[in-house]
Amino acid sequence: MRVRQNGRGSNDAPHGCENDSLSGRLLAKLVPLNPRASGTEDGMTVLSARSSEWVRPVTQQGPASAIIEIDRVSQVFQTSARKDHVALSDISLRIEERAFVSILGPSGCGKSTLLYIVGGFVSPTSGAAKMKGQAIKGPGPDRGPVFQEFALFPWKTVLGNVMYGPRQQGIRAAEAEAQSRALIEMVGLKGYENFYPKELSGGMKQRVALARTLAYHPEVLLMDEPFGALDAHTRTRLQNDLLNIWERDRKTVLFVTHSVDEAVFLSDKVVMMSKSPGRIRQVIDIDLPRPRRRNELLLDTRYQKYVVDIERMFDESDDGGVPA
Amino acid sequence: MTSSAGMTKRAAPVLACIGLLVVWQVASLALKNDSFPTAIGAIRAIPDILGDKESLINILASLRRMTMGFGAAVLVSIPLGLLMGRSAAVAAFFNPLLMVIYPVPKAALMPIIMLWLGVGDITKTLVIFLGVSLPVIYHSFEGAKAVEEKMLWSGAAMGLSPMQRLVRIVLPAALPEILTGCRTGLVLALITMITSEMIARQSGAGNILFNALDMGQYDTVFAMIIIVGAMGICLDAIFERVRARLVRWSEPQFDMPLSFS
Repeated sequence: MRVRQNGRGSNDAPHGCENDSLSGRLLAKLVPLNPRASGTEDGMTVLSARSSEWVRPVTQQGPASAIIEIDRVSQVFQTSARKDHVALSDISLRIEERAFVSILGPSGCGKSTLLYIVGGFVSPTSGAAKMKGQAIKGPGPDRGPVFQEFALFPWKTVLGNVMYGPRQQGIRAAEAEAQSRALIEMVGLKGYENFYPKELSGGMKQRVALARTLAYHPEVLLMDEPFGALDAHTRTRLQNDLLNIWERDRKTVLFVTHSVDEAVFLSDKVVMMSKSPGRIRQVIDIDLPRPRRRNELLLDTRYQKYVVDIERMFDESDDGGVPA
Repeated sequence: MTSSAGMTKRAAPVLACIGLLVVWQVASLALKNDSFPTAIGAIRAIPDILGDKESLINILASLRRMTMGFGAAVLVSIPLGLLMGRSAAVAAFFNPLLMVIYPVPKAALMPIIMLWLGVGDITKTLVIFLGVSLPVIYHSFEGAKAVEEKMLWSGAAMGLSPMQRLVRIVLPAALPEILTGCRTGLVLALITMITSEMIARQSGAGNILFNALDMGQYDTVFAMIIIVGAMGICLDAIFERVRARLVRWSEPQFDMPLSFS
């Protein structure tokens, strides 16, 4: 049933490229890239869980502590002299360590802005965001962004891009290169190390962007509609691969999307937002077993119910409608 | 097919030059005017100029001033342009100043500069500097302004300070645009070089040209025009090679993404 892919990223994407795709296989032979995460007990359990059929609901993970706290954050943009646009209104949210949290909402609900505030790229008009109890004052390597626009350094090769963060942190060239090559292999781009971003397709660029961010071991991944610019097929493959990578060392992920399926498929928790002004409508725990496999999940009535329920909730609201 | 197309492409500029010389030759033979020598006459005068030690020293002096003016202009203009592109305050301060200076022909400032600094190298180099600065500032400014915000954010998340981001992200990202400005600047350097020597007649390639004009040596005048033109072509060709190497990553031949997700 499952189609095997050959080691190098192949051009002919097979139809059945489900969870068992290349990065999933590659993970097994790789050394742990983040000693902090995979050295812990939790990281080990996750690895062993992959091979067995034993499933474990997310809610049963030990006592989770909040790594990010968003406290009554509002963001107001001045659009014209008289009119202000309230992008975010009084948002409070706790994000637990090692959780995969999606922020879901229609365009213009401020979900990206919320992510930028956590990233420290934007300062909120009022309120505060905290990372491990410390107020976020600016960007830092503990929070790694992945943008819809990829934002790769076009003058650097794939390897150069991935090595950039480790080198900046003072890791020796040889070591940084070895780590980066392993990461490039993990995201399925072995053989493309010396290509320039311009030579790559959108999906490949996003794989490089993910590897570049993972390379400096951020504690939190901030993903801003990372698959929004990709075609449906590429998007599915990247979702599967991201899930495989994430289920390995379970970084905290804050994932912005407007796709209900994507949010339910990937997340432990979905934060539904509504727009004008941007508010949190509801936070839904997605109680589905992990590791998740797309072909199993799509047939799972619990998954289907989450998707239908969330879509209905967006339908009922006056402002938004179903996010596309 | 491709090789013959390549041959045509390479032969085309040579053909254009030969065509120009033929038209020139025919026109000057038809007009029979003393001040319009034949192409062959002008070309014959070239070895005389390049063989003469004094002329050669003059031309080299011109090139030295040009290199210094161009180099200094690039060193000052690129950082200034980049800062303007990334900081609204810096741009707001310098923009009006540059807008005033931009339309003024730099040679028109020469008499004043000559009054202050004399007719020597400093004056001429300064005029070249002014001529080159503006396009380089302008293109650096535009290049820096266009740098994707998210690219800078990515750098900031890796721990790059604002200064590091300017040097290690804005500079390379804006490099194609900066080099476009430098290329314009290089041609302007040549033009202002000749103009400055025309006004402050003391030494240089422009001086040879205008001395010959005064003395009615028209084949020398046209020979100098050919020499200056050839210098321009060579400098531009060298610069283009360097540029192509530096921004290989942004060239259109790389603009064909692979079809793999």
